[in-house]
Order: sequence, then C-alpha cells, then structure tokens
Amino acid sequence: MTDTTTKIAIGRRPFVAGAGGLLGAVLAGARPARAQNAARKATLVIGLDISDSISLDPARVAQYSNPLPCHAAYDSLVTFSPGDYVNLKPSAATEWQMLPDGKTLRFKLRQGVKFSTGKPMTAEDARFSFERVINLKDQPQQYIATIGSVKVVDDHTIDMTLTDPTQPILTIIAAPEFIVMEKAVAMAHGATDAADAKTADKATTWLNANSCGTGPYRITGWQRNQSMQMVRNDHYWGGKPGYERVLIRHMSESAAQLLAIQRGDIDVAFNLIPEQVALLKDNKDIRVEGATSLDFIYMAVVNSPDNPALQKQQARQAIGYAIDYDGIIKNLIGGHAVRPVSFLPVGVNGSTEALTKKIGFREDLPRARKLLAEAGLPDGFSFQLAYGKAAIAGVSYENLAQKIQADLARVGIKAELAPMDQLNLRTMYLGAKAQAVLTFWNPPAPENLLWAAASIDRVAKRVHWDVPAAVRANVAAAAAERDLAKSAVLWEKYQQDMVDAANQFVLIQPIYQIAVRNSVTGLRLTAAGWMAELDKAKPV
Amino acid sequence: MLRYIVSRLGISVVMILLATVVIFLIANTVPGDPVLMQLGDLAASDPVRVAEFRAHMGLDLPLWHRYWIFLWGLLHGDFGESIVSRRPVLQDIIEYAPATVELASISFVLALLVGLPLGVLAAVRRDSWIDHVARFVSLIGVSAPTFWLAFVVLAIFYGWLDWAPGPGRLDPVSFPPTPITGLLLIDTAWVGDWATFRDAAAHLVLPSIVLAGSTLGLITRTTRAAMLESLSQDYVRVARAKGLRRWVVVNGHALPNAMLPVVTLGGLAYANLLAGAVMTETVFSWPGLGRYTFTSAVAVDFPAIMAITTIVAVVFVAVNFLVDLSYALLDPRVAKR
Amino acid sequence: MSGIVLPAIASPRRRWLRRYGLAGLGAAIIVAWTLLAIFAPWVTPYDVNFVDVANRLHAPSWTHWMGTDQLGRDVATRVVYGARISLTVGFVVVAIGGTFGTLLGAIAAYARGWAEEALMRLTDLVFCFPAIILAMAIAAALGIGTTNTVIAMLVVWWPKFARLSRSLVITQRSMEYVEAAQSVGFKPGHILIRQIMPNAVGPLVVLLTLDVGNAILVFAGLSFLGLGVIPPTAEWGSMVADGRELVQQWWVATFPGIAILTVVMGFNFMGDGFRDWLDPHARSR
Repeated sequence: MTDTTTKIAIGRRPFVAGAGGLLGAVLAGARPARAQNAARKATLVIGLDISDSISLDPARVAQYSNPLPCHAAYDSLVTFSPGDYVNLKPSAATEWQMLPDGKTLRFKLRQGVKFSTGKPMTAEDARFSFERVINLKDQPQQYIATIGSVKVVDDHTIDMTLTDPTQPILTIIAAPEFIVMEKAVAMAHGATDAADAKTADKATTWLNANSCGTGPYRITGWQRNQSMQMVRNDHYWGGKPGYERVLIRHMSESAAQLLAIQRGDIDVAFNLIPEQVALLKDNKDIRVEGATSLDFIYMAVVNSPDNPALQKQQARQAIGYAIDYDGIIKNLIGGHAVRPVSFLPVGVNGSTEALTKKIGFREDLPRARKLLAEAGLPDGFSFQLAYGKAAIAGVSYENLAQKIQADLARVGIKAELAPMDQLNLRTMYLGAKAQAVLTFWNPPAPENLLWAAASIDRVAKRVHWDVPAAVRANVAAAAAERDLAKSAVLWEKYQQDMVDAANQFVLIQPIYQIAVRNSVTGLRLTAAGWMAELDKAKPV
Repeated sequence: MLRYIVSRLGISVVMILLATVVIFLIANTVPGDPVLMQLGDLAASDPVRVAEFRAHMGLDLPLWHRYWIFLWGLLHGDFGESIVSRRPVLQDIIEYAPATVELASISFVLALLVGLPLGVLAAVRRDSWIDHVARFVSLIGVSAPTFWLAFVVLAIFYGWLDWAPGPGRLDPVSFPPTPITGLLLIDTAWVGDWATFRDAAAHLVLPSIVLAGSTLGLITRTTRAAMLESLSQDYVRVARAKGLRRWVVVNGHALPNAMLPVVTLGGLAYANLLAGAVMTETVFSWPGLGRYTFTSAVAVDFPAIMAITTIVAVVFVAVNFLVDLSYALLDPRVAKR
Repeated sequence: MSGIVLPAIASPRRRWLRRYGLAGLGAAIIVAWTLLAIFAPWVTPYDVNFVDVANRLHAPSWTHWMGTDQLGRDVATRVVYGARISLTVGFVVVAIGGTFGTLLGAIAAYARGWAEEALMRLTDLVFCFPAIILAMAIAAALGIGTTNTVIAMLVVWWPKFARLSRSLVITQRSMEYVEAAQSVGFKPGHILIRQIMPNAVGPLVVLLTLDVGNAILVFAGLSFLGLGVIPPTAEWGSMVADGRELVQQWWVATFPGIAILTVVMGFNFMGDGFRDWLDPHARSR
C-alpha cells in the first residue's frame, strides 16, 4: 500500500456537491406552479392511452381511443345519449323517417348549425361526407355497405337509399366515423368524394392534425404517442363549450395516470386499474365515475379438429359450469363489471343481468363433473388456451387465464396456457386454428345485429360451429323486427341458442372506472363507443 | 492505409446488408399475418379486404422482390410505409429518435461525469475506502435490472416523495415547442422558452439516472483498470521518481494513456444506450426509438423492423470501424496485415 | 475513512478480506440462492401456484412475508421458486454459449487465414443485430417459452467468447512454450487443448462468472417484456412485470426485483474477485 496519506487534486467533495447542487436546481424548477394558473384552469387535460390511434380522419377511424376526439370535433346525424343505448337521439339531424317506398331514409338537418370556420352546415356537406366514407373504402365503409346512395333534396334535407332495408343502419351511423365535415375545407386539403377516392383522396394527413366539423371542439394537433390538442369551437350550436382547450395526454401506464390525477396534472384518468380505483375512494378532490360499457372479455372454446374432447358439447358445457364467475368479477376487477348471458352485452335490447341469472352459465361443480361423465371424460381432459399480452380495464388476460386454469383444475380439466403476441393470436383465431382463446369484443356501434351477425358468421367459423338454420332465421327475424318489445323476446331466444352451443363464455363486461377531478363538471361518460361527451364539460 | 480503409468500408456495407437479410428472413418465418392485426374484425374476415391491404403493403410479392424493394428504397433514403402507423417509417423515426438521442446523451454524459473521476480515484488510491466504494457502486450499477430500478425510483421520487416529475418528456400541461431539432432542451433554449426548458430538464433527471446506472459501472471499472495499467508503466514510475507531484503525473502522464480503452468502450456503450433504452422508455412512457422498436417487433411491422435493423447495424458497424481505424492509426502493423 | 487512519501496511488477513471480502460475499449469496432453489419445495410454506383471489394483494405480514400477488399467491414462495428458472437459464446459456464461442474462437485463431477472417466477420455481424428485435422475432416465429427465449439468447451470446478466446490464443501462440511443443512434434489439436487452453483459462473464467449474472439479467428483461416463461411458472422478470402498475402494492414488484439484484450482484462480486486474483499487477502487491 503506497501513498495512502498523499492528498490528490481531484477533490471529490466539491464534485459531489456540485452535482448535487445542479440536480437540486433542476428539480426545484421541476414542479412549477402547476395547475394553478389561468391557462391550466381553462384546459381540460385527459390522461388516456392513445397508442392504438392510427388516424383522426373520421372515415378511417377503427380503433379504440380515436373516436373520443373525433366525436368531440364532429357531429353525426343521430346519436345516443349516455346511459340509453336503445333509443336514438337527434344530433346534426333533427328528424328522420323512412319514406313510403320502404328503402329511403330522409333526414332533416338541424337549422343554424355552423362549422368551426363559421360557415353554415348544408345538405351538400352531409352528402359529401357520406360519399367520401363510401368511396374511400376504409374500414368504416364496411359497416354502411347497405347505403346505396345519398342525395341532396334541399339545403337541409338528404335522402339515403338503402340496398337492404332489413339491415339496421341508424344505430350504426351514430358512430363518430359517420359525421358531417365541411366540404370546402376538406377539398381544399385534398379530400374527394369521387369514385376513385380510395387513391385520389389526400386529405388524411391534414385531417390527422386538424378538423373541419361542427362539434364543440376543433382538433389542432396530434403528436403520436404524446398528445392530441383541441381548442374550443366558438360557433358550436349547442352553446359555448366550457373549456378553451382540451388536451389528451398519452399515458400508457395506469400508475402514471393515477399519480398524475392525484397531483392535478390531469383532470380525467381513463385507464386506471381496480386496485388504483380503490385508492381514490377517500380522495376529496377526485370522484370515480362508472360507465357500463358494451365491451366484454370472453373465452371462445373451439370444436377443434385437433382436440376430440372439445368437440363434445357436454365437455364444453362442463368448462362453462366450472368457472368461478363471481370470484373473477368480485376480486379481479373489484366488482366493477356485469356479465351477460352470451354475445349480447347487458344494456342493449333483450340483454339483462336478470336473464344471465336465469339462463346463463354459473359456477356449478357437481354439474360440471356430471357433464364430464356424460361426455365419457370422467377424469377431465386438457386443451390449449391462448391469449395475448394485454389488459382490459386493468385485468390482464394472463391473470384471467391463470384464474381459469386454477378453476378448471378443480374438475380435472387441464388448461395449458399459451401466451402469444397479438399477431400470432389473431392469425390463429381468425384462421380457426385455435383450441380456446381469451379475447375481447367491442362493436363499432350499439346495434344488436352487429354482435349477433358476428357470432353466427365470422366467430362461428372460428369456433367451428355449424350454425343451425333455425338459429339463423331467428337472428334475421330479430334484426328485422322494429318493435323493441317483440324483438327483445327474439333476442332472448338467440342468447339461449348461444348457451346451448357452448362455444363462448362471456366473463367480464367491465364497468369502466374513470377518475375525474372535482374541478370538472358536466363531463358525461358513455358506452356508445366514444367514451365521453365533452360538450357540457366545464371547470367549476 | 487508404486501401485498408476502403476494404474495411466495403466489408462494413456487406455486414449491414447481411444483417438486414437475416432479420428479414427471420421476420418472414413468423406464422402470424401482420395484416390481420391492423384490420378491424370485420375487415380481417373479408378475404378481399385482406388481399387489398396485403397488395398495398407489398406483402403479396415474392420474398426476393420485397427485399429488392427495401434495398431500392434504402438507396433513395426511403424506408417504406409502416404497417402499423400507415405513414412513412422515416417520418416515424424522425419523430421518435430525438427523444432517445436526448435521453441517451444526457445519461452518457452523466455516466462519464461520475464514472471517469471515480475510476481514476479508485486506481490512484487503490485499496483505499474510495476504491471499495467505487467497486461497490459500479457492481451494483451493472447488477440492477433497469426495468425494476425505473419502477423503484419512479415510485419513490415521484409517487412518494414528490421530488421529481412523472413519466413522459414534459408535464401534461406543457406544450412542446415547434420541433427544430426535436431535442427539447435545444429547441426550448433556442427560442428562449426557459419554463419549458426547465420542465424538460426535470423530466430527464430520473430516466437518465436509471439509464446511466449500468454504463456508469462499466466506465468506472474500465477507467480503473486502464489507469492501473498505465500507472504501472515505466515512464510513470520515472516521472514519479523525478519528483513530479502526484496529480501532475496522474493527469499529465497516466490519464491520457488510459483514455484509449475508455473511449473505445464509451463509444460502444453509447451505441448500446441508443439501441437499448427499451425498458427505461417503457416504464417512463418515453416516446422514443426503444419503444418504437418494441411495438414494431411485436406487430411484425416489416418496414419498421428493417429500418431499425439497418440503423442499429450502421451505428454499430460505424463505431467498430472507428475503433479499428484508431487502432490502425496507432499501430501501423494492423493495416499492413 | 479507514484508508487514512490505517497504517500503511495492514495485516495480511485484513488486506485479503478487504480485497476478496466482496467476492466471498458474492459466493455466499450464490450458494444461498442455489440451495434455496434446490430445496424450494421444502423451504416454502405455500403451494407455488395456489390461486386464491379472495386473498389477493395482501401486504407483507407474518403469514405472507412478502405479501400476496394479484391472484392471491404467496410472493415469497414464488420468489424462491423463481431462483430455479433464473439460475438454470443463467448457467445453461453461459455453458453452451461459452463453450461454443470459446472453441470457435480458439480454432479460428489457431487455423488463421480465411477461416479466422470469416469467423471474426461473423461475430461482427452478430454484434450489429439489435438483440431485442432478434429475440422478439425468434419468439414470434417459434412461440413464447423458456426454451425459445434461451435459443434467442444463445444466438447472440457466443461471439464475445469467440473474440476473447481468439485473442487469448493468439497471445499464447507466440509464447515460447508453444513453439517448443511444436518443435517436439505435438499435433495442433493436442497443443491447443493441452497446452494453450489451460494457460488462457483465467480470463475466460472471469468472463464466464460475470456472464452468468448478465445472462440472468437479460433473461429477466426479456421475461419482463413478456417473452420469458409460460404462466403460471414463477419467474422474477415476469413477476416484476405483474407488479409494475401496482405502486401502492409495492411488494409485488419490489421483492422479485431485489432477488434479481442480489443474484446478479453475487456473480459480479465473484467475477470481480476472480479478476483481481488473476491480475498479475494485483498479486504482485
């Protein structure tokens, strides 16, 4: 050991002190007078995971988070008000009726509606907007494929001709994909409604960062995976919106959203998990609002050619009776969920929780064992359960799959878990090659047929269900029936058919828990597909 | 010498192309169809739509043709259109890269500022308490899992103590400045927006410390080893024997000679920081290349994957090349071989 | 502090302790974890995969030392079981990757010429892959699972060993004893394995030791990103991922993280001690 007593020149203490001082200075400036100043008060800040958004051009909206800004920036002809997903309400159109020919819908547009530029909305704008969606042939077009043509009758009237009037359309065009945009502005930025719009339309780039609608706010910017900005539309027909600006902040981590809303950095947090919601119960500044969604998580069990056991109806039913549904809802999602019978969520016509109690699956282990014995599988069987790496309302498929695995093990059924990336999962499920899949369903609009048709066509193929003609006829009759009470009876019959087939077990229909600071009033949550109505939101 | 450089350059280009070929082939063996994931349920069940989208993305072409399109685009500075974001990959990268460059640079500087003096001190005062502390700190630095460390510091300093700002590059209420370089610190300083500058700087503190951890350990250990080596050289002993003061010997004689390995390793470490910020960026919601890499890989977004592979390969090959070149310059025998 | 008060020459025992104390600590940590892993079923009070959602997210208590996770499983039990996967993967990756890389590097160095050049370019090639993309692409192509993740790691693991062993062999090759062996007429293979390798083994052992820790860290990272094990297997990286969102229920992510930290630290302490011990400068003092 040499020179232990020699002093050296590089003093560590000044260095450490210097670095510490610098750090302190930076951090001291880090927490500016946040949330206090006037600009902050006039801004509604929303914390939301927007990583899925790929477009703010309404004609290309097909994801989960982008309907929110689109609905705030544009108005559709008709709409659903929060809590009622059965009766349509007027929006850009004030009245609508089927003409005597039985295939033409006539809409009367609202008088005095102005775009964010101040120009009045006309029937030509509405026609242009619909024709653009149709000719652009992006995903939203598929849902309105039965619209043959849209014609201007007069300045405030349009006629919509349907190729198949038995198919529902009004409930579908309430979605933010089917709105009225200002033709002149859109065309100035490259939009077209011509037949070759698929290649000729160049407006999407502009529409991704701007808007030209009649809604309460106007989109002014979008930085992907960072934020979306909107400013007030002073010409809004529904009264002056309460905020000068709306800022949607991308926050992919729910923990970050929780901390941010606790400190007042954001006003609304959309993606909290049940454990975090529980923490906010005693917070005086924050309220938690529940919004029953129309989305659900389900387990599809396939009549798989690779697994003889799964081809037996009793074996699949045994799965249905071995799952601890109440334990899942009570514990995994903190009670913030309901459970429908089958592929029709609670809240739409003909689907209620009471019906689930009556005809739905429930935990009944002796019955599950009996069914297994009847299937000739008294010792159980095994199957592969695939799921993606994701979470819905704070419940990860992974935890759900492990819970189901443990539940089924009680009657001797062995679920072999197969975690996958979404890509392989989708390819396998859509290609009808899976044995069982845990996944999610959210419809573009609250229309019963959208669920039912999927379950007897696309999803039926995926689960190898050979749908009986009687089941198909019943669904067609239910969809064509315009009397709500009568159709409800037919929809109940459909749900019973689904239970008998035992290919889908709906586990959770979440009641989304959205935290809102008490400094915000008038924000109404909706399950119709666009999360929230911003028009009446204002600071206290 | 020139011949050496030219031949090395040629080899480098071949290496980069080989790397892209390999990734291209592996990505193509994935059984999943990236198109199905990007289309809605209805569209994905419609074979016509799926075929249209495949054709639009060029996924219906034979393998060699698709690779050729990639090469051809590369020559023209065009990486193609991302399957996920549906816009040019280059645009995506221009948007995400500055966040990563800023974070990686700050944490690299941080690691150097702490690691170099610590390494020198540890070597000079070998076996003293500071040597042991340096060793302990650097070993912890390389041992801590970044993803966990990120969680812990965020929970403590943001969630509990409220000393530091939360995830992201800016406070929720701050609007980013109009991008000039995309580096927030430079852009805000340029227009004199000091409030946003402070905000951006504060947001960098926690993630850059977390990211600096492992680099710090590496730099400290390398500096110490190199300094020990150079302190034991004869000329240093001679200088000491002549009675030069210790700090003159350390700073004037030993340190410069110890820098070469440190610089080499530093270069590689910086390249690693740029490429390896996935975990830190995930936990801190940092909108950078690391997360873009992750999401692109999960979605098997071919154009994006190819672009990232190319960029990472270029960075590593360039660093390797510079390192080899510096050795060649220092030791002429290498070039002649 | 002690450096200043201590006399210039410390007692040999204290000096040894100060120099190799950390290495000893590292070895002790590894031995402890290895024993826990082997005897996991006997030292843990609960069934590792016992799901009890009614008892989920309980804070640490006398009944659950490290609390329970989202499915009501005992975190302490799962942390102990997690050591099995992590240690196994660490050893397997380094053993296979290390052996393969070392042999390849040694052969290349001994063969010289185009074989050496080709090998070195191959290692360059692997070095310039973005490892995450490679691992994810392989996982997507072969499916998620421990074996596939280990395969992905092995693909990028061997080159550093190849480089090190090549440089070691080149250094040794020019030593006098090799020339002597050649002049005596030993075959090249005999010289490589019996003469050169034993002399080059020191630095390799250092790298191997440090690398087990590194491999555990990388595997935990991939697992954190969702590429590691198939549930319900207990694994540290995925346990941290489980608890990542649970700031209030800190125990879910914190304890498995500490487990990773200690094991990796153990290997790093030990490797560092080895290096010091092998370093001629260090021993001469």
